[in-house]
Amino acid sequence: MFASAIYLRLMMRGIFSLLKLLAANPGDLRKLKERSEASGERYVRPPRRYELPSYDPVMKIIPSRRRYLRPTRFCNPYTPQVMALANSLGAHRLPPRQYAKAAFAFAKEKLYLEICPLDGVDQTLERGAGTCFHLISVFIALCRAAGIPARYKMFSTTMIQAWRSALVDQDPMVKKWYDSLGYFMIEGEGEAFVDGRWTVAHVGPTAERQASAGLPITRFGEDALGLWFFAVPGTLMIMESIPLGLGRGSRFLQRIAPGSLERVNLGVLAQSEAGLKVLEAAGGVEAYDRQVRVAMGPEVPTLDLEEKKGIVFAE
Amino acid sequence: MTISYTEYMDLFDKQVAAYIPPRESWGPVEKAIYGVPDPFHLPPEEAQRLQFEALSFTFRHHFQNNAYYHKLCLERGFTPEELKGPADLERIPLLPDRFFKEYPAGRDFALWLANVMTGELPKIVIREKNPSYDQVIEAFQEAGITVCFSSGTSGRHTFIPRDQRTFNTSEYAITKCAVAIGYPGWSPEMRGYLMMPNPRKTHLFAGRVAMIYFDAISEVTVAIDREVSVDLLAKAMGADRSLAGRIVQYASRKTEKRMVEKIIAWLEYHQEKTQDILTLVGAPYLLAGVLEQLDADGKRLQMGGRAAVATGGGWKIQEGRRIPSEQFRTWVEERLGIPPKDCIDVYGMVEGNGWMTQCPEGHYFHIPTCYFKPMVLDKEFKPMGFGQWGRFAFLDAAATSYPGFMVTGDLVKMLERCPVCDRIGPVLEPEVRRAVGEEMRGCGEEVRNLVSSDMGS
Repeated sequence: MFASAIYLRLMMRGIFSLLKLLAANPGDLRKLKERSEASGERYVRPPRRYELPSYDPVMKIIPSRRRYLRPTRFCNPYTPQVMALANSLGAHRLPPRQYAKAAFAFAKEKLYLEICPLDGVDQTLERGAGTCFHLISVFIALCRAAGIPARYKMFSTTMIQAWRSALVDQDPMVKKWYDSLGYFMIEGEGEAFVDGRWTVAHVGPTAERQASAGLPITRFGEDALGLWFFAVPGTLMIMESIPLGLGRGSRFLQRIAPGSLERVNLGVLAQSEAGLKVLEAAGGVEAYDRQVRVAMGPEVPTLDLEEKKGIVFAE
Repeated sequence: MTISYTEYMDLFDKQVAAYIPPRESWGPVEKAIYGVPDPFHLPPEEAQRLQFEALSFTFRHHFQNNAYYHKLCLERGFTPEELKGPADLERIPLLPDRFFKEYPAGRDFALWLANVMTGELPKIVIREKNPSYDQVIEAFQEAGITVCFSSGTSGRHTFIPRDQRTFNTSEYAITKCAVAIGYPGWSPEMRGYLMMPNPRKTHLFAGRVAMIYFDAISEVTVAIDREVSVDLLAKAMGADRSLAGRIVQYASRKTEKRMVEKIIAWLEYHQEKTQDILTLVGAPYLLAGVLEQLDADGKRLQMGGRAAVATGGGWKIQEGRRIPSEQFRTWVEERLGIPPKDCIDVYGMVEGNGWMTQCPEGHYFHIPTCYFKPMVLDKEFKPMGFGQWGRFAFLDAAATSYPGFMVTGDLVKMLERCPVCDRIGPVLEPEVRRAVGEEMRGCGEEVRNLVSSDMGS
């Protein structure tokens, strides 16, 4: 099935189930809007982790109209901010893989996770924060600015039973929400075409967030799928652009649930703080990662799907 | 007069002859499985020799004929040339069980299965442009490859492709372990009730694996005599939240009630009208349903001495109903009159063909080490000694169609020998636990959970 058809199906189901749930529980809508005044805690965006370099017209960036290199929705690689940053990271000077790693490290570790409506890469860089899709777009824009084709990989994920038991089944209303919206989980990763193959980049979580959950620190080329995400079969989508409707959906969410989003962002900050302590206790990011990977056991080997004699696909 | 053990096993081999390959074609694996009269009374040196020869053969086979496993061995720096003695077996590269849970959909699923398999494939024709899992499984079955899947309680099914040789070996092994440990309880004249899906109508492993049950005894009645596909199972397990899924879940609950009534009627009929020797084989939660109904009706049956129970497959989505195995056996005795010694459990999994079978005396899981090497791994995934809880891993020589060198998600405690009976070889403690996995929340999931909490508070 085409990626757009999968996406459309997921969106339709998601919107329908959300509307159904809200229609059945109108009183709960108020709770979603309520901010955190009562607790006195408000979300304040942390200061940006970097200085944005300034653009100089002599920078060697050549805009392209080719697929996976051209500007797409919320991801324009040829704005002054992106080009300046790409230049500072070594675009067109470093070998493609080395540069893609630098872009990955920037998007993953320099940007905070903040739930907010989708907007362009420039705004994300100005803000220093965004959702996982903002972060992926930054990575993709940086790659495209350097002439490296890059694209989105999106999917719905399932959660393991232990997680569901602990967080969902405990409360009837939460369970109802899960039953209604469980498949409306769109996660994503970036992919960059380096050394003749598409290489995955999971830039969503910073090292401290991963540490707070006891997870290894993702490397360039390492997939979250099979490690802690399990794609719902039939929902994997490879796209050049963020699909139509996702931005509008994120603005709708901001409108109906600003209080909830603020609490998510507070939760993310708390998670990052907890993760920093874990990293410190372990002796740093590398030491922590080493320990966790040993405890995780053998890595899941990559299975490249190759044509095999015997399998016949009838036309 | 009690039949001798040799005569007993000869009779068994004759009964299931269709599962045994011709003796002249036996290699080290077949010798370790079919050539051993009693897998639980082998002298340790003999068991170790058979195990090493069988595993060396299987490891070399996968190294030479399976591209990804070959690559994995090279990456981990261990090749067949370095497998010189039994002490080296623990260095064989292991696959995490997650490997078999991460698969694509459609035609790529067929390719994935083909790539997972070791060796050459028969001709498999995929006719559909976007085939479902069930359609791919059927296409493989038409070519003689049985693709079994797990119930998917963790949210993902495990798919394992077995060629006829591996499938028959697995079938034979599970029955042989149960029959050997239950000596002299088995007889070809027995009648049985299979508290699982009909093996001929499903590829769910906790069903399909019981195919041999129909050949090992004279008559089998099936509790779930309808097709159980991947699609139907997803609906029944609650993974499918559509209207169709909800209808299936409702129907499943109704069906379970009817199944329980039928099992009770079958037991009552045999108690009153026949002298047949009976076996009840299947999922513990279904038998628990029978016991609950008997509790509710205030009935006690007297099946002691003429019936035995063998459970397996765990409690699945009925995990909330799980009770300790000792308590379960007491309950069986109370309601069915079957003493604990005749109520055993079998521990195995879709990824493996080693069947750990409880002894009647102590209910420890005995391991058929002649072809299956069990290991318990510590937190750094290194093999531990006996007597400690750790993650269960195994090297399975019987798996020739896929690499059966696996780390599981189960926590076990292994003892050097059974503290209760005189059988030889290591055992697992009766209670097997599930290791708790961890999952990262992405931002979509963060939003969903927090919004959920808000709506629920």
